[in-house]
Amino acid sequence: MEEQKTVVEQAKEELEKRFSRTLAVAASNLCVHCGLCVDQCHYFVATRDPNISPVAKAEQVRRVVKGEHDWLRRIFPWWTGAKELTEEDLDKWVEAAFRNCSMCQRCVVNCPLGVDTPLVLATARGVLTAVGKAPEILVQLADAAIAREENLEFFKDFYLEQIKELEAELQKKVGDPEARIPVGVEGARFLYVPLSGAHTIMPAAEIFYHAGESWTLSMFEAANYGIFLNDPVRSKRITERIIREAERLKVQEIIITECGHAYAVSRWEAPKWFKDQPWNFRVRSILEVMDEYIQTGRIQVDKSRNPFSVTYHDSCNLGRNSGLFDEPRRILAACVEDFREMTPNRERNYCCGGGGGLVAIPEWQDIRLEAGKPKADQIRATGAEAVVASCDNCRHQLGEINEHYGLNVRVMGMAELVANAIVPNNGKK
Amino acid sequence: MEDRFLEFVKFDLQIIALSVFALLYALKVYQLMKLPWPREMGPRRGSEELGVVYSFAWLFFPWSMSSTTQHLGRWVEFALYHLGAGAAILGTFTIPFWPAIMTRPVSLTMAALVIGGFIVGAIKLARRIIAPELRVVSTPDDYFSLAAVEVFFFFTAMALITEARGWMIAYFLITAAFLFYVPFSKISHYVYWFFARVFFGLRYGRRGIIAGKRA
Ligand code: SF4
Ligand code: SF4
Repeated sequence: MEEQKTVVEQAKEELEKRFSRTLAVAASNLCVHCGLCVDQCHYFVATRDPNISPVAKAEQVRRVVKGEHDWLRRIFPWWTGAKELTEEDLDKWVEAAFRNCSMCQRCVVNCPLGVDTPLVLATARGVLTAVGKAPEILVQLADAAIAREENLEFFKDFYLEQIKELEAELQKKVGDPEARIPVGVEGARFLYVPLSGAHTIMPAAEIFYHAGESWTLSMFEAANYGIFLNDPVRSKRITERIIREAERLKVQEIIITECGHAYAVSRWEAPKWFKDQPWNFRVRSILEVMDEYIQTGRIQVDKSRNPFSVTYHDSCNLGRNSGLFDEPRRILAACVEDFREMTPNRERNYCCGGGGGLVAIPEWQDIRLEAGKPKADQIRATGAEAVVASCDNCRHQLGEINEHYGLNVRVMGMAELVANAIVPNNGKK
Repeated sequence: MEDRFLEFVKFDLQIIALSVFALLYALKVYQLMKLPWPREMGPRRGSEELGVVYSFAWLFFPWSMSSTTQHLGRWVEFALYHLGAGAAILGTFTIPFWPAIMTRPVSLTMAALVIGGFIVGAIKLARRIIAPELRVVSTPDDYFSLAAVEVFFFFTAMALITEARGWMIAYFLITAAFLFYVPFSKISHYVYWFFARVFFGLRYGRRGIIAGKRA
């Protein structure tokens, strides 16, 4: 009978499986410990704790990787800090990789050498998930998303009933009893993938209505907790549900709701997982669609309908991870009278503190709010009355830091803002 | 007899050390190239090629990153330190293999650059000892590598200024020792730096974050 492997042995095996060229570089002698990334991380800025700087967090994992691969590891491991993995290290990794890093990538764009610290920490997340040490709630949420497909028949009727109620609301809002929230329509142009919650469906439905769009609502939610676990099996299965649905309905595009990580997964990560089965539809964010509608005049907007001052939070996953910087700004220029940029912004923006799955973990709310301090300061400095975020996780976190730091701002989604600004019925077929 | 020793450290020893150095680097690169490389596959939003160009160019433009904008002095240190290192390394080739260009003004200019690097090295060493955020991540190799470069700078500067036989012998002996040590140490970061900047440029360029058309 095969002897059961210890947690440490399993972890080492998983680490080895993930040892790619990019990881080998990020976990090598590349990092010169110069410390330039230290005050680029919102955790350090908020806490001034040298143990949670990017380099200090990555170093915990890097030393173990060096323990396996550094040339001096056998003769003088202590010389380069190389070490053997222990179970205690794994417990510390949970803090470093899950609690104290939101995977925002701000340290990468600020490292003169290009050390991919979040890759090192994401690898630790993957290893921890494989050995059962990842935060349970993230595992449950990922598994629930997979189970939804497996038990679709069970959910379907209840879901359709809820959508009917929302449809009635939409009809009232736009004053048209013919207005629809279509589900399962074959041949529609868009498959729109929302999150749980009417706030990710209603403004989009209203915008699609005014644009006269051919669309259909997905049976699934866009959220992919598998990516926070860095678990390729779960992440792939969660994405696959939507791909299968898009193929079945023969849509031309998958439109992801205002959700940073879901967009980054579908737009950038999933093509790597499905490279042998290329898709014949494209993936866009609702941000890109709203921008297109406004630029092409497919919907008419009136900025005087949003008469308050607005600032925009660049979600790390939409901005620094996906390059959506100009689209939200063009939308804001058309839809609000007083737009105020935060400083810094775009790829230099600070994370709100809620990324990487942190908003889903209630027991880490303390550090999440503390790490949100640089963002709170940024918002306050603009003097804006509202802050717009095009990511649901960010909105959740911004709502909490709004309360925690007494910012007194309104936290809004971009679709909500656009829906407010729409000149009714224009463009309706 | 004495001159033969100088000739040996200047030529033969350098060639042996350089060959070992090159061999070890070739091995490092070979080990890296053997590993799988998960390439970006999502449809391009920007340009990978421009991304790579930007990625390398960022080094020369301190305003391209918040870290160097906020800490401009650190960027100046970085520039002076690497200029010093460049001059010291250049000397190991020009003194033995191209003595004709080593006129007095050239030697003194190179010495000045090396002294600049030496001063910055001392500041870096002091910072590593004093700053808590650097102390917590520093290994013996970090301290030793900085100190070793200081020694290298010192002997380079003395050899360039005095052009005396004793300092020359010391300079070439130190250079050889250095060449044997570098591939095992933190100083080898520049090999990985090349790969890291390419990876960075490909990813952030393709995704339209740092370069190219933002469609
Ligand atoms: S990750 Fe980059 S910026 Fe940070 S200490 Fe290492 S080399 Fe310096
Ligand atoms: S990815 Fe973001 S949170 Fe994580 S270490 Fe880097 S700057 Fe900090």
